[in-house]
Amino acid sequence: MTEKDPNKSHIALLGWSLRAIEAMDKFDRRYVVVAPSWAEEHAKQHDIPHLSWDFERLNEKSHEIATKLKEMGVDVAVPLYEETVEWAGAINSVLMDSPRLLNQAMLFRDKSLMKRRAQLAGIRVGIFEEAHNRDDVVRFLIRVNQALLKLHGDPNDPIHFKAFDKAGCLGHRLIRTVEDVEHIPDEEFPGLLESHLDGWEFACEVFIHDKKIRFLNISEYVRLGYSVFIPASPELEKWRPRIREEIEKLIEAFDIRYGLIHPEYFVTSDGAMYFGEVAYRVPGGNAFELIERAYGFNAYQGHVLCSDPKATEEEVRAFFPKEVEDAKGYAGCFLVYPRRRIISDLRVPEETEEHPYFEYHDLRPPMESKVAKRVAFGNHYGSVYFFGDDSHEMKRVLKAQEELDYYV
Amino acid sequence: MTVSEQPPQPPRADAEKLAMFGKRFDQALDRLADAKSFAKPNHTALLVDTAARILPLEGGVEFLYERASEFDRAGVFAESDWANPERLRPRLVPMTIASGNPRLVALECLSELRWLAIAEGRCEHPAVTQEDAQQFVHEVLVQNLDYVFERRTEAARGRIVRAAHRLFGFLAKKVGFAGILDNLIEEIYRILRQRPIQVNHVKRMVTEMAVALHRDGVSAPRGADRLISALYGPTSATQEDPGLDVYRERLATMDGSMLSQEAGSFSRAMHDTGLVSPYHAVFMQFALENATHLLPHALGLSSTGSDALLCYRELVHALIKEAIHPETAEAVYGLAWLLERGTLYAPPIAPALWRQIQLPLMTDVEQVFAQVFGTSLPARVHLLAGVICLLGMPIGVGQGENPTCQSARALSMWAYNDPDFLLQLLAWAARDGEITMHFEGQSISSRELQAGLAQVLHLDLDPVSLVLVPHLDRIYMEMGRMAAGRGEDPHKWVNPEFHGWWVGRGFAIAVDIATGFLQDYEKFVRRFYASYHPYYNGNQPVIHPQPAGIAVTDSHGRFVGWHAITILRVALDNEQKMRVYFYNPNNDSGQDWGHGVVVSTEGHGEVFGEASLPADEFASRLYIFHYDKHELGELGAVPEEEVASIRRMAVESWAANRAAAAV
Repeated sequence: MTEKDPNKSHIALLGWSLRAIEAMDKFDRRYVVVAPSWAEEHAKQHDIPHLSWDFERLNEKSHEIATKLKEMGVDVAVPLYEETVEWAGAINSVLMDSPRLLNQAMLFRDKSLMKRRAQLAGIRVGIFEEAHNRDDVVRFLIRVNQALLKLHGDPNDPIHFKAFDKAGCLGHRLIRTVEDVEHIPDEEFPGLLESHLDGWEFACEVFIHDKKIRFLNISEYVRLGYSVFIPASPELEKWRPRIREEIEKLIEAFDIRYGLIHPEYFVTSDGAMYFGEVAYRVPGGNAFELIERAYGFNAYQGHVLCSDPKATEEEVRAFFPKEVEDAKGYAGCFLVYPRRRIISDLRVPEETEEHPYFEYHDLRPPMESKVAKRVAFGNHYGSVYFFGDDSHEMKRVLKAQEELDYYV
Repeated sequence: MTVSEQPPQPPRADAEKLAMFGKRFDQALDRLADAKSFAKPNHTALLVDTAARILPLEGGVEFLYERASEFDRAGVFAESDWANPERLRPRLVPMTIASGNPRLVALECLSELRWLAIAEGRCEHPAVTQEDAQQFVHEVLVQNLDYVFERRTEAARGRIVRAAHRLFGFLAKKVGFAGILDNLIEEIYRILRQRPIQVNHVKRMVTEMAVALHRDGVSAPRGADRLISALYGPTSATQEDPGLDVYRERLATMDGSMLSQEAGSFSRAMHDTGLVSPYHAVFMQFALENATHLLPHALGLSSTGSDALLCYRELVHALIKEAIHPETAEAVYGLAWLLERGTLYAPPIAPALWRQIQLPLMTDVEQVFAQVFGTSLPARVHLLAGVICLLGMPIGVGQGENPTCQSARALSMWAYNDPDFLLQLLAWAARDGEITMHFEGQSISSRELQAGLAQVLHLDLDPVSLVLVPHLDRIYMEMGRMAAGRGEDPHKWVNPEFHGWWVGRGFAIAVDIATGFLQDYEKFVRRFYASYHPYYNGNQPVIHPQPAGIAVTDSHGRFVGWHAITILRVALDNEQKMRVYFYNPNNDSGQDWGHGVVVSTEGHGEVFGEASLPADEFASRLYIFHYDKHELGELGAVPEEEVASIRRMAVESWAANRAAAAV
């Protein structure tokens, strides 16, 4: 365990993540993990500072946890999961005596509000609408395709449906037909409807301290929901100055001073950038692990550092490397979802194992032979990690994985 | 890979891979060692996956062994089944390896290295003593002789097997052979009695055993002496392994009776063991120049073989001159059987062999051969030696580590039944880089096809297979593709078109293609008996070798996979029991298929290389066969109890989840 500096902020992590805990353990700040009671025994066993808390819907009890943490001398709360973002807002508004923070956090939890806020700030967004039921979705699908001058019977252009308050891929569905609409479960309403843009979709991890961008990572998707690598290829990185401008607008629009945001964009072939959505927390899809593999710094520590208003300018400057230039190579990962309906065994394809870029995987052996239908872009079986020095080869390898069976 | 168009990419050299993965392993090891207890699981996956890639590499096991104490202390075994070594059992190790799960196998191998480190006092563990560890390592070696021997089975193929070979080879070298010598010798004889064409691994074992015996000053136990002398000193003038040059000089000074004695000793050693000493090749060349009358004696020929030699004297001399060298000494044994089998009497064979002697080879064939056999002899010499061995020992050919049992089976079947066709295919492939076969009248060229079942061909093959398998594999795949979608198993059409006209057009399969469930199984069994079993087919012996499909099961009777074999004969054994004698293209036919079904390779009337099972046991693992519907016996004559008992054996093993209630 790294020596803790009592003069530096005391951090509360909201949510249980072994990787984040390990990062804090090796960091010079005191910390406590606020997590559900099921983690308590494990925490005790391994001497992890822990406070039991059940993150149900935000309610009057939020003040109780905030007070508790304040009494413990905690300075900052850092959310690890989508569900804890509003808790962090509520707690930090107490800890830092800044009621605005709660409202800001709520903004991030509502995709429609988020989009309107961006639009009001003059950021370009696609066509979008809110949907409260399936009829809304069908109407939007038809209207978007009418606008595209599709004849009856032509294949529809897809639309996207995103549950308001689900993280990343979990509530994200691609809708092409009325039948697809039937499959949206009730609990995913209300949601956000968006037109589909053909273009290059990518995400960023932006470490912000004192309203300034301290480190901007661009994650290039090879296929949305399946594969991503870091840093982006030179072809995408050439848009970095434009991307940076767009993100500065976003920081302004959402008044973000400290922490990490994780926005998604489209860039179309003519270079127009469209804002997709933004999250105010640790990104999914293993982006932090990839950043660490590519750059060698611990992104969880970077996140905590940027969330801490008391961190000094020198400390922040010293922490982050230079984007792209300082990367030791390209780190990528592929999320595996079985291609077959019935599986009996996990078998990493030989050509993957033989590839020099392949590093390791965290796939779990199949628990049952029947594969559940993929829900939205979620419920994958684990990730396969790659590392190498050529972005084109990385792209090729990640692409090639789509055609391989990991489960037979 | 295609031999014809592109030379195979030489695999990235092991040293280069070891450098790369070694660095990664050390980094992962540091991170694991640094991690707090709760975070260890985050770091073990990378370490173990990297170890899995290091193990099969040359020098990989040594690399890991040096770090045994470090990875143990870092916590690679924490919270796993290997966390408490005192609870581990050597007899469970083969099962873990057969599981085929790369991560478990890697952990298992790391565990063995930890045991060895404890046994050698390089590492300490609170719960076990150095003596415990020595005992464990010894037992684990005996339990895993399969891997010490590089025997391969269907249950475990590929990188995992290579890793296991490296590991147990390393353990055997470290511990010495003394403790496991008896098992080792028994095993070597068991393999040699099947007379495989490829004996390099056996020779390596014999050599290592000789070195170890000499080093430890242990007197050679029964049987070891014969093996070692067969290779290094089979005759009185080679007894002390004098070196090939000295032996050449000695031959020049010998009189007729001494030479005759030498010839006799060579042939006895060769026919006893199936191994050929390099001195034997030197003797053959000497005899060719100075004493051709001794050749039949040196080959150990009967009157049949001698007669063939005399009839085709010039050809046989040319074959000896061109193909037999100390590096290709095994061809002496192949030649002996080529002559004994009378193969040369078929009219096309002699001219085809003359063509083979002069055959120019494609450059890329030469490159592959240089990679596999080195460059001390030209590629055509190795290929010719390979041809001699294959024609002499048609059922000694194996598929190596490749998933190409059909191609190996075809080679064997042609060498056995249609050797001039085999020589024609070989000439096309080696000289022109293309072979053409036909499927229902449509011609298929191997040149125009993508790789077949073997994406990358492992090069542990005999010379003829090295040239032909890539072509055959692709054509077989293509035929499969062309026959797909007909609603029935494609083997029905592919097997006759691929192997030859003699394959029965009648086709029986035990399972329903769509559901995988047993279908009409009783009829399947009855039909098999009515076509193959002499009691029920009008006492008709098998005429041509017939391809068949087996549901291979492991020693616990669990289904492993489908496998291609050839039915050679069905006959009474020496205990008057009806047995099916068959060829299995995997490299060792002696397998335990569970529930008492143990494939025999000797002692039940088998010819060298044959495998056999009692007819009912064989039928219980059969799932595909061909027959001639005009040559069927009476289905109803097969006793009800026999059919029921076969069904029971099938359902208790491979068909455990395939027995639909309705059937």
